[in-house]
Amino acid sequence: MSRIPRPNTTLPGPAALGAAIVLGVAVTLALDTALLWWVALIIGVAAAFAAVVWTGPLVPDGRSGSSGTREEGTGLHETLVVPTALVLSAASGLLAAWFLDLSLIEPVAAALGALVGSAMAFVLFHRLSAMLALSFAAVLAAGVIAVAVTAAVLYLSGIPPLATFERMLEYGSRPDSLVRIINDGTTYYLAAVAVAIGFKMKLFNIGVDGQYRLAALLAAAVGGYLVLPPVLSQIVIVVTAVAVGGVWAGIAGYLKVARGVSEVISTIMLNAVATGITAYLLSTNRLAVEISTNNIGTPPIPESSWVPGIPATFLGSDHEIFGLVLLAVAVGVGYWVMLNRTRFGFELRATGQSQTAAEASGVNVKKMVFLSMLFSGMVAGLVGLPQLLGSSHYYALDFPTGIGFIGIAIALLGRNHPVGIVFAALFWSFLNQASGILPFDGVPQEIAVISQATIVLTVVVVYEVVHRWGRRYQQQQIGKQLGGTAEQDTEPVPSAAEGGTTDGEDGAAPDSGGERGGKTQ
Amino acid sequence: MSSTPSGAGAQDPPAVELRGITKRFPGVVANHDIDITVAPGTVHAIVGENGAGKSTLMKTLYGMHRPDEGHIRVRGREVRFGSPSDAIRHGIGMVHQHFMLADNLTVLENVVLGAERRFGIGGRARARIRELSAQYGLGVDPDRLMEDLGVGERQRVEILKVLYRGAQTIILDEPTAVLVPQEVDELFDNLRELKREGLTVIFISHKLDEVLSVADEITVIRRGTTVATADPGTTTARELATLMVGGELPVPELRESTVTDHVVLSLDGVTVRSSDGRAVVDGVSVDIRRGEIVGIAGVEGNGQSELIEAVMGMRPLASGRVLLEGQDVTGWPTLRIREAGVGYIPEDRHRHGVLLESPLWENRILGHQTKEPSVRGPWIDRAGARADSERIVAEYDVRTPGIDVIADALSGGNQQKFIIGREMSGSPRFLVAAHPTRGVDVGAQAAIWEQLRDARAAGLAVLLVSADLDELIGMSDTLHVILRGRLVAQADPTTVTPEQLGSAMTGAGLDGDQSTEGEGGAHE
Repeated sequence: MSRIPRPNTTLPGPAALGAAIVLGVAVTLALDTALLWWVALIIGVAAAFAAVVWTGPLVPDGRSGSSGTREEGTGLHETLVVPTALVLSAASGLLAAWFLDLSLIEPVAAALGALVGSAMAFVLFHRLSAMLALSFAAVLAAGVIAVAVTAAVLYLSGIPPLATFERMLEYGSRPDSLVRIINDGTTYYLAAVAVAIGFKMKLFNIGVDGQYRLAALLAAAVGGYLVLPPVLSQIVIVVTAVAVGGVWAGIAGYLKVARGVSEVISTIMLNAVATGITAYLLSTNRLAVEISTNNIGTPPIPESSWVPGIPATFLGSDHEIFGLVLLAVAVGVGYWVMLNRTRFGFELRATGQSQTAAEASGVNVKKMVFLSMLFSGMVAGLVGLPQLLGSSHYYALDFPTGIGFIGIAIALLGRNHPVGIVFAALFWSFLNQASGILPFDGVPQEIAVISQATIVLTVVVVYEVVHRWGRRYQQQQIGKQLGGTAEQDTEPVPSAAEGGTTDGEDGAAPDSGGERGGKTQ
Repeated sequence: MSSTPSGAGAQDPPAVELRGITKRFPGVVANHDIDITVAPGTVHAIVGENGAGKSTLMKTLYGMHRPDEGHIRVRGREVRFGSPSDAIRHGIGMVHQHFMLADNLTVLENVVLGAERRFGIGGRARARIRELSAQYGLGVDPDRLMEDLGVGERQRVEILKVLYRGAQTIILDEPTAVLVPQEVDELFDNLRELKREGLTVIFISHKLDEVLSVADEITVIRRGTTVATADPGTTTARELATLMVGGELPVPELRESTVTDHVVLSLDGVTVRSSDGRAVVDGVSVDIRRGEIVGIAGVEGNGQSELIEAVMGMRPLASGRVLLEGQDVTGWPTLRIREAGVGYIPEDRHRHGVLLESPLWENRILGHQTKEPSVRGPWIDRAGARADSERIVAEYDVRTPGIDVIADALSGGNQQKFIIGREMSGSPRFLVAAHPTRGVDVGAQAAIWEQLRDARAAGLAVLLVSADLDELIGMSDTLHVILRGRLVAQADPTTVTPEQLGSAMTGAGLDGDQSTEGEGGAHE
């Protein structure tokens, strides 16, 4: 594409964007009549992408990656960033079209999908930085490895892998399944954010599980026994859950700050204590009543205190999506804002990166440890609420457990990033849901667990490897751009040069070349 | 063996020969086209400024990494080292700049550790150590506990370790950096002894007078490559310096005095105790005035770090007071002290000064997270922080492609320049500068000195702690010597010599009348 001569003018960004979108949509619509819609869409987006690449140099304020280096023309850019951008824009177009197809007629959905894909093509081509592309590529590679491992396990067990995957995909994308996936994903998301807050500080809050169970029980009891007007009631229930989760995690935070107890140990123990307390409270002469013949739980919360669901007719299902999915969205946005835009978030990340540097900069590390543990617990307190207020309406023996541990895996998978965790949570619950069909085909359902486990492992390992390599690559690029830092820096400054004594530059630190050398070992 | 070292190379094959060595690292070509021939039975010095590539070259020779190009020949035979143990097998040993010794073990245990196969771990090993110690005049007793030994003795143990492993060629990487001048002389006597016994010594340094006094041949490295080989008999320090930097070397010096009589920071009997109750800073009292740089000289580990941390509020005071322009700031948290207008250039910038994995503009916020322009209330002001980072990059000549680069990608000198720019912003009243030019190349060093001078002229009060005596003498208006947590002497920077300071640092006291110098501090 780039061989074609370009006019010697500049093109304003919006015009290039518009042109790409028009081209992508037009190609898709034209081909849609002859080909399958998704094939048409991929070709359309690819055409738009090609247009973007071609017009790229004409758009003023050319790309510079988030690393601040000019990345165009480097090997990495050509071989990785551009293809990743293409794949991602096609994928986002397909996803949008598939989603819209559930409620719209096919050609319209395809056209709108092409629109999204083409717009993404423009944005990604101009904005995707090498480091981000590397992350995507790493996750993609990890996914491929995980699928391959799962397929191998299936194959060795004498089950045809492809047919199994197809079946899972088909079942997992049914409207009712989608609603379940979103609902479970909401719960997982909250748990993962709770864990991620700790991870950002290098704190390992294993206690999310105990925190949410205790919080859900007490919140359910408050909702069941205390009848309040609507809205106020929901607020009281949410506040109770947040407070209980916060207190429970706060204990671990306090122990760490005041007594130096490792939060790993204390949260594990607090999990056990929480299990004991819930078992103690959940008996008929304390908080619980008989729900059915075999089940006891807190008294059902009156309907006025429920959180209404969102009808999922646009997905083609008559089930409802938890209303508290909006709470999860709010938590995600809040987490992002807190992390990236507030002083507190900055201090949190600084402490996580280097406790010593944070201390020297006046960050009260102990306060940060306590607060982040507290916040982690407060978010953990929310984990049980979508289920409680959206579907079960009481806390009983059959209330879901173990979500806190799933949250750890999802936080790892989503790299603690508010958006990454969204995809990780949805993917996780997709696997859970889709594997539900397998027993009907005589395939063990545990296959999903294998996939989940492999993908967490591969993502963590591959991501780390790619990240390190990327950092080295970035340093190299910077070195190249500065024409060899060592050479430039040693340029003597004549103004200060006088006299002849030459000894006594500081000798205690190794020179930078040596330092680098040590690192690359 | 041969007592005339220069003649030895003629008959025997060179002890070590490096030809066309090139080593690349991310971001830099650390070495290129290095050619060095080391004659056996000589002390061969390799000089170059910080960052010129000396340590990289020695790591190549010691097998710690492989060269990208070039050949290494040992006693005429070409070798390829995959690891330091390969190098040791070929008779090459290295004494690192930072000692690698276990404090809680004896000399014997330290020496045999990892070389148990040579002479066992008992009597034979002890006898061998005694024999080596006597042969080379090292004076090391195998049964002493390492923690009882001084720095000079530890270094001799390191040398002994290398000899015990059968080294014929010993690499010493900046061996004098940790020594005071008197210990340096002892070390040089040991080196001459080694040479007399037929061993070859490769001596890495950037201190030219030392090199000239001990070396038989000098190779100068500049910007990663060998630029000249000099004979110490016919070369002067000045000529060597010119070769090293390709120009003249910057010298720290203050011009006219800017000291006023307005005291900015006053330490009053500051005492800091370590966790075991020992006083690591003991009753330090000092006044620092507007426009004054007060230098603290001392062998590392004599309480300088603790004193700084006490001033910065990172360490509680056992007794004493810290006054900032008359206000008692004792016990204030670090953040409040920083907010009150105290800048801090930490001694270990990777541990205390920067977030290596964060972009430069986020590092601008670090330590100033309550102040404009980086922060507005509880919110980070990205635009403000970015704009101010751009200002620092431009004003302090930080060489970087942009402010979105992570700090780790910059060279040490540029990181340090950025830190200084950050700490100078918001016009502080008082600056703590700990080793401001440590591990920084010459260009950046001169720039940093210039910035300190400018800030001093503008009325900044500075507490300067450094291990570099020339820097201390050149940059200080008043100079104190710290020993075991106490200020033991005060010197006049206009007249004191590094040797006098060195002896005061070891507790021998300043020669002459320096210590009786009054509190005036200022000099003409």
